[in-house]
Amino acid sequence: MISRLLKVTLTEWKLFVTDPAAVLLLVVAGILYAFYYPTAYMNQTVSRVPVAVVDLDHSAKSRELTRMASATQQVEVKAVYNDLLEAETAMASEEIYGFMVIPENMEKDLIDKKTTKIDIFTHGAYVMLHGTIGTAFSTCALTVGAVSKVKAIALGKKVPSAKAMAMRDPMPLSIQTMFNNTGSYSNYVVPSVLVLILQQSLVIGICVLGGARGHRRFRRNQRYSEVENESMPYRYLGRSLAYFMHYCCFILFYHCVIYNIFDFPRRGELLPMTIFAVVFLASVINFGMCLSQVFLRRESSMQLFLNLSIPILFLASFSWPSYLMPSWMVGLSYILPSTFAIPAWLSIEQMGGDIYDVAPKLYLLAIQAVIYFVLGMFLTHLRDKSKFTTGDM
Amino acid sequence: MLKGLLKTIGKIYFGHKIVLWMILTVLPVGVSVFMLEMFSSEIVQHIPVGILKQDKSQLADKLERALQSSPVLDVVLNCHDMSECEHAVIRGELQTFIVLPTDLERRALRLEAPVIPVFSSGQNYLTNMFATKEIRAVITSIGSDLFTASYDDPVKTEIHSVGNIEGNYQGFLALGLVSAMFHLAAMLVAVYIASFPLRDKRVREFFNYAERSWVTLGVAAFVPAVVILWLEYMGCYAYTHRMLMPMGFEEFVMVSVAQLLMVICCFGAGITFVGVTGVMRIATGVSGVIGGPAFAFAGQTFPVMAMPFAVRCFAFLLPLTHVLRVQSMMLLGDVGMAESWEVIKLMGGMALFWVLLGCFTIVLRWKYRLKHDSQLPVATEDENVVTVDSLLESLFEKIRRRK
Repeated sequence: MISRLLKVTLTEWKLFVTDPAAVLLLVVAGILYAFYYPTAYMNQTVSRVPVAVVDLDHSAKSRELTRMASATQQVEVKAVYNDLLEAETAMASEEIYGFMVIPENMEKDLIDKKTTKIDIFTHGAYVMLHGTIGTAFSTCALTVGAVSKVKAIALGKKVPSAKAMAMRDPMPLSIQTMFNNTGSYSNYVVPSVLVLILQQSLVIGICVLGGARGHRRFRRNQRYSEVENESMPYRYLGRSLAYFMHYCCFILFYHCVIYNIFDFPRRGELLPMTIFAVVFLASVINFGMCLSQVFLRRESSMQLFLNLSIPILFLASFSWPSYLMPSWMVGLSYILPSTFAIPAWLSIEQMGGDIYDVAPKLYLLAIQAVIYFVLGMFLTHLRDKSKFTTGDM
Repeated sequence: MLKGLLKTIGKIYFGHKIVLWMILTVLPVGVSVFMLEMFSSEIVQHIPVGILKQDKSQLADKLERALQSSPVLDVVLNCHDMSECEHAVIRGELQTFIVLPTDLERRALRLEAPVIPVFSSGQNYLTNMFATKEIRAVITSIGSDLFTASYDDPVKTEIHSVGNIEGNYQGFLALGLVSAMFHLAAMLVAVYIASFPLRDKRVREFFNYAERSWVTLGVAAFVPAVVILWLEYMGCYAYTHRMLMPMGFEEFVMVSVAQLLMVICCFGAGITFVGVTGVMRIATGVSGVIGGPAFAFAGQTFPVMAMPFAVRCFAFLLPLTHVLRVQSMMLLGDVGMAESWEVIKLMGGMALFWVLLGCFTIVLRWKYRLKHDSQLPVATEDENVVTVDSLLESLFEKIRRRK
């Protein structure tokens, strides 16, 4: 029994290692994307963003504020303008991505104990720079304000400056990030994308080979093949085992090589990682086996699934939380293994979660695997019985 | 010539091409609308946070109430210890948690400045950023009321996002994603149209329909798809843009031109991939490798200037990077419009290059296939041109089945 199963497994493995299209998807894509995608984020964080200051005050205080802004790590003051239009033109040509407007009479207002307002403008098209520039400029401006306020409190309440500082901010905050201490953008994006790469390349790869099986030429060439004429459960399970073993190697490769090269945190323990690999791959392989029965042409799955990669990634709520999505969309996302696999992988590998932490997501993946297994067997049985047809898909 | 053109268009676009219509219309428009719907709540709200209340004072209660009443935050868990909160973060139930330390009120009133630790997961950029910002605002506001309620802050800051006043995430991200979708779709459609005559061995058939003119065949094959995709793209863009600052007519024209140039560039690139590889699945794979992750390289999420030099060069070659620049320049009004001309000129050059290269390579490929395909004459059957060898093949197939 095992030898029959292994025979199918080995034949399938041999098939997808010798078929150029399958090699491209099941071997090259997984390796190429894993290097190609994180390269963009190798610098991890954005620093020294070019910005400008529009100084309408021309006072010692405004120059102090400009110097403070120049000294921050996040931004680099490229120019000091006297006019708002100059700054807008520079922002339009993307010489700068934001600017701070120091209003006229700022110093005078501060001395007169009046409130002054500093406007910070950022480019609306870049949300990440909006946060970086906004934080850098407002920290500088509020520091200038805090100094004036502390002075006012010390003089008004007749207390020493240390006490005045404590009165201004009696409960200071200390914000700590637990798992991405450097605030790296690549740590945030790439691990999720790696799981998606595994899923998409595997599903498309299975469909490419499944499409081949629906094809007349393949059937004609393989009609006397012992493996292709093996009973359906052996064929189904043998092929699944080939994909499973192949993709286990990929998970190990990502964990040991890619995570090391790009310096991603590796907190995953052996037990949760192993269970994750089993249920995730079982779910994706059976999902792929179901879909592969639909396509009659090898390329069709590529053409359709490439378009769906972006929505599938966002449905895993790694960027946009699922509770903010419409409920029908959340329901739809339950048919995809990545919806549960991406959060589970992040919990295990990035956050060092134990098996109890990820159990709810792994259960759902296991349920998916069982449902797709039954459906996959049924669809394969139907296809075996059907006459071959040719069509556009 | 016109008759040949129309006949070829009819043959290419209306000959049972489910996949073509799927990738030309259903998927790009469907996915764009889907992405817009996904961000329909527009801004981030109700971020799940936890509180570990070690202090049972009035001040701690006040802080908890203030956090609960914030529309951005949703206090979903009152933890008993740090570990409970930490595991909730790992499970994804919390994004952030706040520790109100023992003796908070007593130490605050004695001006000992007790630190309030806020732990965020750091694994979700957007929700973590909004959550910590809101927690800071809430706690600072209550803290300043303790002793210095009568003292106004002498400096106030206001952050304006130019062109995206409300910081609308739907408008911001969907705008880029819609362009990314059409960038990929244009390449895939071009690959499909250029390569299916090769795959189905129908180059001779289409060439005959086009009255043996490569120009007619090229126009009939690609121009309708470019126009359809461009119109869809404009429609989806206009639908997305309603969330942002309204555009003037001239701005709309500029953006439309840039979008048309992007579609043409991608078509040219897709045709070139087919011309070079000659196989649909390989050319589709190449398009997927380049077009699939293009959004990550185009600079809207992570800025191009912060990428390594080699990646910046690659980003420069992507039409998506330039169309996103034009779209973002339009957010700045008249000033941006003047600057966007330079980018549009560059895109025009790129479009010309890719179209010329694409035409050159695909004509070579089609000519080669025409020469090397069956040299047998063709027979006509109900207006469909069928090669003799395919007729023979179907005949043999029937005989085999009967056996």
